[in-house]
Amino acid sequence: MSRFFINCDQASILSTREQYGDLNPKEAFRHKLHRGHCIGCRSFHKNNQRFQRKLKGLKWIALTIAQKQSIKKCLTEAMSK
Amino acid sequence: MPEVKLIPEKWVDRYGDYLFNFTISRVNDPIMAQDLVSETFLAGLKSAHRFKGNSTERTWLISILKRKIIDYYRKINSNKGKAEVRMSYLSSSDQEGDWMEEQAADLRNPNVEDMIEQRELGDALEECIACLPERYATIFVQKTIDNLETETICKEHNITASNLWVIIHRARVQLMECLNNKWHKNS
Repeated sequence: MSRFFINCDQASILSTREQYGDLNPKEAFRHKLHRGHCIGCRSFHKNNQRFQRKLKGLKWIALTIAQKQSIKKCLTEAMSK
Repeated sequence: MPEVKLIPEKWVDRYGDYLFNFTISRVNDPIMAQDLVSETFLAGLKSAHRFKGNSTERTWLISILKRKIIDYYRKINSNKGKAEVRMSYLSSSDQEGDWMEEQAADLRNPNVEDMIEQRELGDALEECIACLPERYATIFVQKTIDNLETETICKEHNITASNLWVIIHRARVQLMECLNNKWHKNS
């Protein structure tokens, strides 16, 4: 039975991993099973999903590889001086 | 608190994207944002001898960047700067007109409201990320913003995958609490 049932600490980590699409089917099943009988973890999972949606809605603008190389070059030149 | 040492060789990879995001939400010009980030690193290098190790590298670099952004706005608000803005406006459109009327956002537009909300949330999130322990913040940003592979991050930080997920989980819990305090209570 312990193969199926997990505790709340494990469930909360699985909830976070789920937001990044990192769960395999067995882990997803265990997590779902735990949420079925744990109100706290169900509520945490909802908040976690809401937080993930907010994060996805934000426009993150990262430096391109070329921009990073250009900054690194300036920095390396300054360091060599 | 253990003394923090500066490692300029890793600055671009570790803090480049974070500083760039911080800057672009304030200056709204990608080229200028890149220049300001670059200047920040160079200024950090110059004043490295003054770094006492009381704060983290990231906090220290952000404080330099904030001063650079203030200088940037001072410059464009000076008379010479105003003339430069006017010239670039006129040269880009070939038309004379009221800059405010044509360039300022219409606050009644629902898209503008969304944009403002996004920006406020973004700013609040940046502040909350800055409050995280440095290791948590770096790993959270690498996984969530830079979308790096789990393996790559684990190798860089010399940690196992389960350690990484515990760190990301704790970072997210702290961020949710922080956002709840900073953002939701204000709105």
